[in-house]
Amino acid sequence: MRPEVAELVAALDGAGYVADAAIATALFLAGRLEKPLLVEGDAGVGKTELAKVLAQLLDTELIRLQCYEGLDVQTALYEWDYPRQLLRVRLSEGRGEDPRAVEAALFTRDYLLERPLLRALTRPRPPVLLIDEIDRADDAFEAFLLELLSDFQVSIPELGTLRAEQRPHVILTSNRTRELGDALRRRCLYLYIEHPSLEKEVHIIRRRVPEAEERLAREVGVFLSALRGRDLVKPPGVAETLDWTRALVSLRRDTLDAEVVRQTLGCLLKARADLEAVDGAAVDDLVAQAHGDGR
Amino acid sequence: MKDAAPRLVRLGRALRAEGVNVVLRDELDAAAALGLVDAGDRDEVYRALRVSLKITPPGLAAFDRLYPDFWSGTQEQPARPRNPRVIEAPRVAPRPALRWDPDTRTLHGGRAPGGEGDEPGASPAALLRRRELTDALPADVAAMERVLARLARRLATRRSRRLVPARRGQPDLRRSLRRALRSEGELLDLARRGRARREPRLVFVCDTSGSMEPHARFLLAFLLAVRRAVRRVEVFAFNTDLVHLTRTLAPAGLRAALARLARAVPDWSGGTRIGASLATFVERHAPAQVDSRTVVVIVSDGLDAGEPLVLANAARALRRRARRLIWLNPLLADARYRPEARGMQAALPFVDQFAAAHDVASLERLLPLLVA
Repeated sequence: MRPEVAELVAALDGAGYVADAAIATALFLAGRLEKPLLVEGDAGVGKTELAKVLAQLLDTELIRLQCYEGLDVQTALYEWDYPRQLLRVRLSEGRGEDPRAVEAALFTRDYLLERPLLRALTRPRPPVLLIDEIDRADDAFEAFLLELLSDFQVSIPELGTLRAEQRPHVILTSNRTRELGDALRRRCLYLYIEHPSLEKEVHIIRRRVPEAEERLAREVGVFLSALRGRDLVKPPGVAETLDWTRALVSLRRDTLDAEVVRQTLGCLLKARADLEAVDGAAVDDLVAQAHGDGR
Repeated sequence: MKDAAPRLVRLGRALRAEGVNVVLRDELDAAAALGLVDAGDRDEVYRALRVSLKITPPGLAAFDRLYPDFWSGTQEQPARPRNPRVIEAPRVAPRPALRWDPDTRTLHGGRAPGGEGDEPGASPAALLRRRELTDALPADVAAMERVLARLARRLATRRSRRLVPARRGQPDLRRSLRRALRSEGELLDLARRGRARREPRLVFVCDTSGSMEPHARFLLAFLLAVRRAVRRVEVFAFNTDLVHLTRTLAPAGLRAALARLARAVPDWSGGTRIGASLATFVERHAPAQVDSRTVVVIVSDGLDAGEPLVLANAARALRRRARRLIWLNPLLADARYRPEARGMQAALPFVDQFAAAHDVASLERLLPLLVA
């Protein structure tokens, strides 16, 4: 293993993000090859968190663009500051200025409102640009993004072309609610984050909920990997694991029992079909597994 | 890593042979990535290749299968490149066709009795069915097209959330100001913007098994008309296997389209594997064809010969992915019909609309469901 990759694992761990070698390798390559990193995986496996912790490690700004249906260039890239522009026009009228000069003055950086994408290009120190849940934006926006991510420059008709001095570190996330275009994926490096292995999950619990005893953390880990093995509509992610562990800790439990699991199952399962599928017998079974493996 | 390039090319080729979409650009990325990682670390090279070749979960199994070959190539460093190993897609053994007998309402296993040969397309009976299809359609299609003309108008009225220049709507400051500059800063007229019209997407998955045969011509007419009215329509047909029909149903030349269709549809009789066919659809086509604005319409009588759980899972997956899941069942027209078939029972919880489809009137009632 490259020492840089091993160091990255350690550094991520130090920042509170338990990463395996796959994640660290992907980050390392994306940084060296100066390519955006597209991160996919189920909800709650830590995609967004990865961008946050990367910004923390690089000690740089995190600029986040949350995607949604109908997201347009005015919200994502730039907008002109109309109220101020109108005011300027009014003021210049009184003074009888040359309209052409006024127009030239109106469309300068002074009146430009930078939205996340433009801001990421114009920072002197390259920030981490998180383009979150790109699968929610529509195809048109995806096509626009493609252009931006290949050249890291944008054209503003009134101003000309703005180019990034230094490329920002770009992380895109997707929940795979729709397949992204091939072209976009090709521009990026690709990381698929799986649900964590048992060891990794126990480690995460210990890191993030230090109040939880070793024994409880293990039982929770075994319980969750057994639970995810069932055919669920919405398998619980790490975020759910941590919520649940905190709930158990605040209920002062140091081991799992069927009763408390039944009472708190809502922390883990958030679809009605899943709550119905994991009935009393299933809970008993899962708890037995957790105890069997948990010691 | 010295001679990674030829091995990368071989790996790329082998992946493509397995249906994993890897292009030159990915191979270049992979070459760059290999230059950066520890070439002696089998796991690290594996991880670097996954990231740089952009291996998504559907392609992972093939990648894992092929990686050992790539790696062993690293170690032996052969003098001249071996011939690329071509991996053939696994062949699926032909399944015995099931037949639905409309008189006794039972499914028969095995081959159709009497007359029909091995290949369903070659039998005289099949040829006869084709002729019927081509001869009897145009009148139906004309009626359908009148209905569908209305559908097309209504489908085009759905609005997206994206804002575009429009005559009515909220003020568009950017354009207004540009206009105002022409008149020395006086806002003479306000530019406006409104929500864009959104083109809908429809995906039809049609059962063409024996039990559907009485309705087949009619439904085909409907599909042809939909295809002409709405631009983004995809049509799939299945009985024992799933076929992508969109190209076959190209709007040019109805008669030619029907002739092509008769060739493309595997068999207008035989049994139904609804669950398995839908599962195939979910796995192979849904990622590209179905998104949150797609309305998926399944046309089938729900008489599934397979395991109900498979069907239920496929229906659930579709429901999650699509804007709306509609099931058209020709049997529903019969007042005595109850959706008691096991397959139908399994799928119903995940269906947004369960509707009849046997005549023009029932299809008219379908319109609001397609545009909602």
